[in-house]
Amino acid sequence: MEYKNNPLSPHLQIYRWHVSSLLSITHRIVGVINIIALTLICFWTMFLLLGENNYELFYFFLNSFFGKFLIIFLCWSFSFHILNEVRHLFWDLGYGFDLKIAKITGILTFFGSFILTILFYLIGKNIF
Amino acid sequence: MAQFNLPQNSKIEVGKYFKDKTNSKNLRKVNVYRWDPSDGKNPRVDTFEVDMDNCGPKVLDILIKIKNEIDPSVTFRRSCAHGVCGSCAMNIEGINTLACIKSHTDIKGDLNIYPLPHLRVIKDLIGDLSTLYKQYESIQPWLKVGHTGKEKEEIKQSQKDREKLDGYYECILCACCSTSCPSYWWNGDKYLGPAVLLQAYRWINDSRDNDKQERLKKVADELKLYRCHTIMNCTNSCPKGLNPAKAIGSIKKMLATS
Repeated sequence: MEYKNNPLSPHLQIYRWHVSSLLSITHRIVGVINIIALTLICFWTMFLLLGENNYELFYFFLNSFFGKFLIIFLCWSFSFHILNEVRHLFWDLGYGFDLKIAKITGILTFFGSFILTILFYLIGKNIF
Repeated sequence: MAQFNLPQNSKIEVGKYFKDKTNSKNLRKVNVYRWDPSDGKNPRVDTFEVDMDNCGPKVLDILIKIKNEIDPSVTFRRSCAHGVCGSCAMNIEGINTLACIKSHTDIKGDLNIYPLPHLRVIKDLIGDLSTLYKQYESIQPWLKVGHTGKEKEEIKQSQKDREKLDGYYECILCACCSTSCPSYWWNGDKYLGPAVLLQAYRWINDSRDNDKQERLKKVADELKLYRCHTIMNCTNSCPKGLNPAKAIGSIKKMLATS
């Protein structure tokens, strides 16, 4: 029997989120954002090459409120991606599949990403 | 591209409300997904008021009570009723599990029961699992020993080798894991899914099997295996407490190191 025309049972609409699935989708989204961020960094260096006048344009943009917000957000997105990728590396080595451990490392990744962001920010501000 | 919304004919509508007739004081609202292939309408969610004073502790007890006492047309699969056959796999409170071993006392508030996600519904809580069974057949889930001339002799297995199958042979193929996996939702026709890959690993890992390399080669595919992104919904949902994510990880590791 073929059931191609039968209704599809609900999936995303009803399925409950877990720490692991939430981090997985965030990892994907953040990955895409990071690629865009890398393009931005390329433009930044390009403006450096073009000379002082052109660079000033970029400099003003990054010093605006939105620019600062963007930079801090990108610090977070890179931090998150790095930490979650480390988690993936351990999975590839065969460790950390246990439900409890996966949950703990997931929560550590999430909070760790904010701590790393603050560290990046402070290093950038030459606090240390 | 994956379709995240439900197609037009699958949109869920508000269904009937079955008021309690027993005058019980201990009532619970149970929302059940319904779809009747004969009336040509969209699926709906019916609400039943169930008398909890005269009901067993499991979600399956509620469903049987509804079928016996309120609406005999409610359709679901069940057989053994103690977590061995895997027939009554369904989505309860957003997580796939077996209705026969899920206690409803753990759940607060109204009870929401849906069929396993992203399947073609046959009726009410029954989804079509034929794709999964075809995929299961494709991994050849039987012992392959080759022509050694000793086919009639017993194949012995050491205790240590036998222990390697622990955590994998217990799988009852209820499909809770596969239908919880977003990768399997979007690529169910190509990606094998956690249940089938766990079974594949069970045969790859069997010391008595002589076809390990062939099995590995067959499963090593961009779509068949590597659509697993370690989302871990499978392990979170497995009612038998197994770890399909780990099994898939082990296959990936074997392929990377062999």
